Amino acid sequence: MNTVLSRANSLFAFSLSVMAALTFGCFITTAFKERSVPVSIAVSRVTLITFSLMCIHLQSIFDWNVKQLFLYLSAEYSTKNNALNQVVLWDKIILRGDNPRLFLKDMKSKYFFFDDGNGLKGNRNVTLTLSWNVVPNAGLLPLVTGSGHMSVPFPDTYETTKSY
Amino acid sequence: MLDVFRSIPTQMDYKGQKLAEQIFQGIILVSAVIGFIYGYVTEQFGWTVYIVMAGFALSCLLTLPPWPMYRRNPLKWLPVQESGTEDKKPADRKPKRHSKS
Repeated sequence: MNTVLSRANSLFAFSLSVMAALTFGCFITTAFKERSVPVSIAVSRVTLITFSLMCIHLQSIFDWNVKQLFLYLSAEYSTKNNALNQVVLWDKIILRGDNPRLFLKDMKSKYFFFDDGNGLKGNRNVTLTLSWNVVPNAGLLPLVTGSGHMSVPFPDTYETTKSY
Repeated sequence: MLDVFRSIPTQMDYKGQKLAEQIFQGIILVSAVIGFIYGYVTEQFGWTVYIVMAGFALSCLLTLPPWPMYRRNPLKWLPVQESGTEDKKPADRKPKRHSKS
């Protein structure tokens, strides 16, 4: 510690170690938090899915360790080949500081709902759920499902592709 | 140009080095605790980082330059000794010549 460089080296290394310990502390304080909130979904049109979403409790998920939320709406159904199929219809990114109250009415799906293997035609029970990925500052990325869902029967004929 | 920087005296004595180390460790730990609590309360981790960086800058200012408080216990060097035989390097020793005989 006799020269400036040696003091600067030891000071900088100590600061970085302290910063790493603080980041670990930030992770530990939010690692075991419950991140699922109730969501309400309504479907107004089944072919070319149009839906409405409402969720007012997303603000409680944002804490000091959350950078953004990645939301996606997925449709789940079962066929005789597979017990569970999931298709993502729509997604959205909510950054910290954006308005977290969702009141979306009559939204069109962002992605085409392809029927991969004839399982959807005439399927009695297709469930739409909203899930999200919590992107943190430090730590793991939990994948959480919202606690509300909506089941819809599908029609018996396919819709031919129209131009959007 | 580098010689100008090398000629600035930057050393501290041993007690001064120990004092400097205690000072910067204390400042950074205190600013880390303050920053952690403030960031937790305001729910923004960015403030924790800013407070720790401010603590780092403050301790740079206090411990990097050699302030006089770090030089209060200088080492006591022995006085310069005048005896000749220990100072000669072996290469300088020439074989003794009896020139005047």
